[in-house]
This record gives sequence, structure tokens and C-alpha cells, in this order.
Amino acid sequence: MNVITNNQLKATIALAALQNVEDPEIGLNIVDLGLVYQLDFDGDTGKVYCTMTLTTRFCPMGESITHAAQEALKTCFGEEEIIVELSFDPPWNHEMISEAGREFLNEK
Amino acid sequence: MLAGMNDTESSNTTSHQVVLPFYGYASLAYLAATLLLVFSSNAFTGHYFHPHILAITHIMALGWGTMMILGASYQLVPVLIERKLYSSGMAFASFLLAGSGIPLLCFGFYVFDMGRPAQWGGWLILFSIVVYLLNLAISMAKSKEENVHAFFVFTAALWLLATVVVGLLLVYNFTYPLLSKSSLDYLPVHAHLGIAGWFLLLIIGVGSRLIPMFLISKYTNPRLLWWVYGLINGGLLAFIGLFLYSTNRALLLLPILAIAAALVSFVLFCYRSYQQRVRKKIEGPMQISLLSVLMLFLPLAFLAGILLLVVFGPVDSTALVTAYGFVILFGWITAIILGMTFKTLPFIVWNKVYHLLAGKHKTPNPKDLFSERVFGWMSIAYLVGFVLFCIGILAQNQVVLHAAAVLLLASSLLYNWNVIRLLLHKPALV
Repeated sequence: MNVITNNQLKATIALAALQNVEDPEIGLNIVDLGLVYQLDFDGDTGKVYCTMTLTTRFCPMGESITHAAQEALKTCFGEEEIIVELSFDPPWNHEMISEAGREFLNEK
Repeated sequence: MLAGMNDTESSNTTSHQVVLPFYGYASLAYLAATLLLVFSSNAFTGHYFHPHILAITHIMALGWGTMMILGASYQLVPVLIERKLYSSGMAFASFLLAGSGIPLLCFGFYVFDMGRPAQWGGWLILFSIVVYLLNLAISMAKSKEENVHAFFVFTAALWLLATVVVGLLLVYNFTYPLLSKSSLDYLPVHAHLGIAGWFLLLIIGVGSRLIPMFLISKYTNPRLLWWVYGLINGGLLAFIGLFLYSTNRALLLLPILAIAAALVSFVLFCYRSYQQRVRKKIEGPMQISLLSVLMLFLPLAFLAGILLLVVFGPVDSTALVTAYGFVILFGWITAIILGMTFKTLPFIVWNKVYHLLAGKHKTPNPKDLFSERVFGWMSIAYLVGFVLFCIGILAQNQVVLHAAAVLLLASSLLYNWNVIRLLLHKPALV
């Protein structure tokens, strides 16, 4: 799934960092799982907005995943304010898993 | 305890402080039941209405099955209804009430004194279920989502209430003649309210949500699940009506067929979820859980056998009835709990210990928090013990029964070892 962004270069850095965040139940990172929807960078206010979803609303691991995403983004954008927001529009489905993610799930 | 829950009250998920005591209690109840099984295995060669069998049955049904399901449902209901649980305080109150009532009731059965300990125990369990039901009702009333899984869970809780009310009436009926017949005559109604109404409906309702979720399956079919819901509830109502008001026992085959059709539909649902899964590898806990789905047919086969003996008798069906109860409590219900414990508890503990460390440090995976090797030995001890015990009941062989009971005790010790290891887990950064 393609991530919407207003800054392709910074988004590439952010996605590399977010690839270190795993869904603990599935063991796959949240980028390949298709949980990251949008990354926006506001240079004027110094804010980084990450819009993501969870595999299910009220996912018991949701707080841990969003917290880990925030911490991962801090590693590359430590000077900026990181805002992680949840969205369920559209709700996540298995079609959002990347090819690499599918290969991982086929093997694991 | 409750004051300490405030830090997680803002969270969407139910606090681990509410859920973990249920897991701990249920694990100890399984240990207690298997311990009693070793000391009372001889009782299984006689009539099932034996004080020790009644005590073991209630430890398994209430202390093990119900306590585990109540705890897990407090964690899972928010996922099903997409709404926070109404009250953690009420959830903990239900734990305290049931947790103190179950030993009293089971002690009453063990010494076969249906006086105060058993009656007080029954009342405490009843209050616990009322609190559970109210908590569910308020949580669901606030939910915008109406889905088939939530209907399963809520209806199951209503049947649980009916089971406990009838059970309490039967306890009182030993001392005061409240009912027209003896308590033994009403036992099938009490047992099946619990088996089909509570356990079957709840496990199918939750399982039909969790199995596709854990397999990452593309398959959904709420329509089929509504059929399952209708068949189980319709079958159960028909069973109660026919049992109480009809003298033609052959008619009881109709509700059995309805429940059988529901089970076949649910197995079909699980099979299609399995076929259309994205995640190919099936872990040990998931394998045991899927096995438990197939184990549903074992009690059904025994039930059909009992009915045939009753209709075409006169053949003694006592051993078959005992085996029927055993395959439900120690087979299907235990298998699903043994499997699902290690699909849920490691995540609850991981969330408790690592949720603020995730992303900052490399943390272990939830499945690394328990020993897969011990889980494997536990599964073997359980499966061999279970099959041998069934053979022991049917063959009325005391040596086989005793050996099987020892194996089941070993399974519960290994299960407890892993559960305690999880509950006492301290942060270990990789």
C-alpha cells in the first residue's frame, strides 16, 4: 500500500525507522503490514504527523504499537514534535499487506 | 487494587490487573481438579452422581472453564464490540465473588453437604454472574457496533445466569423440596444450559472472531454465524421443553440434530478461515485450539449413543454419561483453554511489562515469554492422559484411570509452570 506524504525524502527516512516497529502478535513490521497510511511534515511548526491504523479497532496491543511508532520516529526526527494519530477510514484489510509482508507470512 | 487501575483506565483495553487474577485462579483450579482426579480416579468406575465427581465437575466448569472465560472475555469484549468495557471495578468484583463462591460450593459437593457452604457458594457465584452480565449489558448498550459475535457473548451470559439459577435451585432442593422431582432428575437441564448455552455459544462467538484474526484470514461469513446462533439457541430451547414436558425421549434427537448442524457449520467456518489464511505457519497454541474445534464432535457422538441406549435400552448408560461429561470438560473446553491461554496471556503480560519500552529498546516477542518446549510436553501429557482416561471410563479399568489421571496432573503442573513464569515475568531487554 502506498503511503501518502507531502515530503517523499523525509517519508523514506520515517518509513525506514517505522520498519523497526513490529506488530507483536504477527511479528511483521507495521510498514509491510500496511498500518501506516500517511506521513506529513510541517516545517513551519516543526511537527511530524503519522496517520496509522490497527489490524482491528480496540486492538489490545494498539497502545504499544502506536507508542513504539512514536519512539521510532523520534530516533530520526528528535528535534520535531511527533504526533501519531489513529484512523480507521479505511479499515485495515489483508490487501494492504506488502509483497514483502506476504512473503514473510508465507514463511513464518 | 482498584485505585491502581486508574493509570490504565484511560486506555481502550481492559487493565491487566483485572484480567490476570482470572488466569491465575483458573490455572490453580485446573491443578486442583487434576489432583482430585488422581485421588478420586476410582470414583469414575461407578455412578456419575458421586460427591467427588460432582466436586471435580464444578471445579472444572466454574473454577477452570468459567473463570478463564470471564477473564478472557473482559479482555476480548472491547475487541468484539469496539467499545471500552464499562467498569473494571465491576469486573474485579465479579472475580472476588466467584473466586470465593467456587471453593465453598465445591467443598460442599466434595463432602456432600448441601447446607450452608454450598448454598453460600452458590449465591456468591450468582451475584458474580449478575455483575458480569450488567457490566456486559452496559458496555454493549454504549456500543455503536452490532455484530453477531457480541450477540453470542451476551446470550451466552444469559444462559450462564440461567445455569447458575437452576444449579442453586438444585442445591436447595436437597434440603427443601422446592421441585417436584429429585435434583438428579433435573441434572441434564442444568448441565446442558451450561454446556450448550454458556460454553458452546461463548466459545463459538469468540472463536469465530479470534480464529480468522489470528490466522489473518480473508474469510468472513456473518450469515453462517447467525445460522449457528439460531440452531444452538433453538436446539437448547427445544431440549429444555422436550425434556421437561415430553415423555417421548426419541424426540430429544431433534435438538441434538440442530446442535450437530450448528457444529458442522462452525467447523466449516473454521475450515474456510484456515483455507483462506494469509499466515501460513500455524503455531502450537493455535494447533491445539483448532484441534479443540474437532473435539466438539466427540461429546456429540457420546450424546447420540446415550440417547440410543435410553430409547432402545435397557442397557446401562452410566459409563457413557460419565465419559460424555469428561470429554466436554477435560476434552473440548480444556483443549481450547490450553491453546488459547498461550495466544492471549503472553500478549497481556507483554503489554503490561513492555508497552512503554517498545520502540525504545529491542524487546522480546510475546511468544518468547513462555517455554514452547514445556508447552509441547504439556500437550503430549494432556492428549495421552485424556485419551487414556476416556478408555479407562468406558472399560471401567482403575489402573488405566489412575495412570491417565497422573498424566493429566502432569499436564496441569506443566501448564501452571508456564503460566507462573508468564505472570512473574520481569523486563528482559534483548
